[in-house]
Amino acid sequence: MVDVDMLAERLDKAARDALPVAKLTERTPFDVATAYAVQRAGIERRRRRGELLAGVKMGFTSRAKMAQMGVDDVIWGLLTDAMLTESAVDVSELIHPRVEPEIAYLIGREVRSAAAVESAVTGVAVGFEVLDSRYRDFKFTLPDVIADNASAARFGFGAWHAPHDVSNIGLLMEIDGRPVQTGSSAAILGDPARSLRAAARLALGAGLKLEPGWIVLAGAATAAVPLPKGAHVRVTGAGLGSVEVTT
Amino acid sequence: MTTNIDAAAERLLGAYASGVPCEPVRDLITTADDAYAVQDRLTGRWLGEGRRLAGRKIGLTSRAVQEQLGVDTPDFGMLFADMAVPDGAEIPAGAVLQARAEAEVALVLEHDLVHERHTVADVIRATAFALPAIEVVGSRVRDWDITLADTVADNASSGLYVLGGRPVPLKDVDLRLCGMVVERRGEQVSTGTGAACLGHPLNAALWLADTLVRVGRPLRAGDTVLTGALGPVVPAAPGDVFEARIDGLGDVRAAFGKEAR
Repeated sequence: MVDVDMLAERLDKAARDALPVAKLTERTPFDVATAYAVQRAGIERRRRRGELLAGVKMGFTSRAKMAQMGVDDVIWGLLTDAMLTESAVDVSELIHPRVEPEIAYLIGREVRSAAAVESAVTGVAVGFEVLDSRYRDFKFTLPDVIADNASAARFGFGAWHAPHDVSNIGLLMEIDGRPVQTGSSAAILGDPARSLRAAARLALGAGLKLEPGWIVLAGAATAAVPLPKGAHVRVTGAGLGSVEVTT
Repeated sequence: MTTNIDAAAERLLGAYASGVPCEPVRDLITTADDAYAVQDRLTGRWLGEGRRLAGRKIGLTSRAVQEQLGVDTPDFGMLFADMAVPDGAEIPAGAVLQARAEAEVALVLEHDLVHERHTVADVIRATAFALPAIEVVGSRVRDWDITLADTVADNASSGLYVLGGRPVPLKDVDLRLCGMVVERRGEQVSTGTGAACLGHPLNAALWLADTLVRVGRPLRAGDTVLTGALGPVVPAAPGDVFEARIDGLGDVRAAFGKEAR
């Protein structure tokens, strides 16, 4: 019997101490279902500390990443208000942070079915996600990364725009004014809207409804890059403006 | 040196003629100047055969490819009218040696660009319209085992090119942040955006305009400029059909025939 709470506590402590741990599956092999149970237990620990659920993040939304991990579905994690970044990220609180450009959706109405999710969206924005695996060397198996809340650490987004087709918009990520990644939103499952539907499907399947005010981070348009201290990061999306963060 | 330049040109022409890739030419030439001299030898030969120069292609425009070859500038090659393939028309298998496909922004000029130094404004004023394009690159060099000198000598690894059919004025498209996706039978094989091409496809065109004046073959009204890949290049196998979509520019297809020549 896998001790879900004990595993969740180990990851929670790693995050709070900013000290990496060995892969959980090295000592205790477990399956994907158990991994999501560990993820939820970790989120419960955060909620007991007063954090509020703020949305859902999607992972492995690019073909390359799915192939690399040997999976054929996306993974997801949960966002809390404590992860939301207004303008600065203190990287000393993190282990080995990486940043990636994202498309973010704003949920305006409760989502009762995956088919209804697009009609419940009231905004789309360019965003960023700071990933920080709690595992040593950022190395993990599929169950490990799911248990670790899909490496979620921090996130932010720019101004909301009325929902529109963002299936193939150019994205540019700059650090200190220099381009570090370029890509298209099409890298997110061919269209970030697909990732949005998957978010609703997976959340509903786990007994969670996407709620008004929640954010869905649809996935990365490019590979993530290391986020150093003292950096100024800007992500720009065609027609969506930009979002900035400093470290 | 002239002998070596001739020998390199002959080796590459041999690969074209036989359909069998050759050894690299870097044993004969090393500098970029010599490599362009080889390319110029090929160009002279082809013009003498009556081929019509229809434009230029810019290569090595992405940071990743420049790092791979250890260079910090792009390169260019010649586009002849017989290298242009209509949208979706079948490209006979073997028409391009070791073919690969990449999506690009094509610019079609309506004015000459003959100044010693141009500005981006000059390039914009000289551009009639932009088109979506797929460049089918190829290498006459075995296994694409190329250095800068090899690819420059080999006409910048040019092969064929397909242009989309709907012209878009530059004021109607954001070439820096246009999303790009290439699909093969509905499966996504490449994504990117204009900023991947030297920060902006017009930056590449500006470099080309100045460089071509320096070498004495300036861009002319009517020329097509393939500005450089917007995302990773994809190997093309017989039977492959690629569709490229560039946000704001439209779509274009490259269809490879199944049977070898």
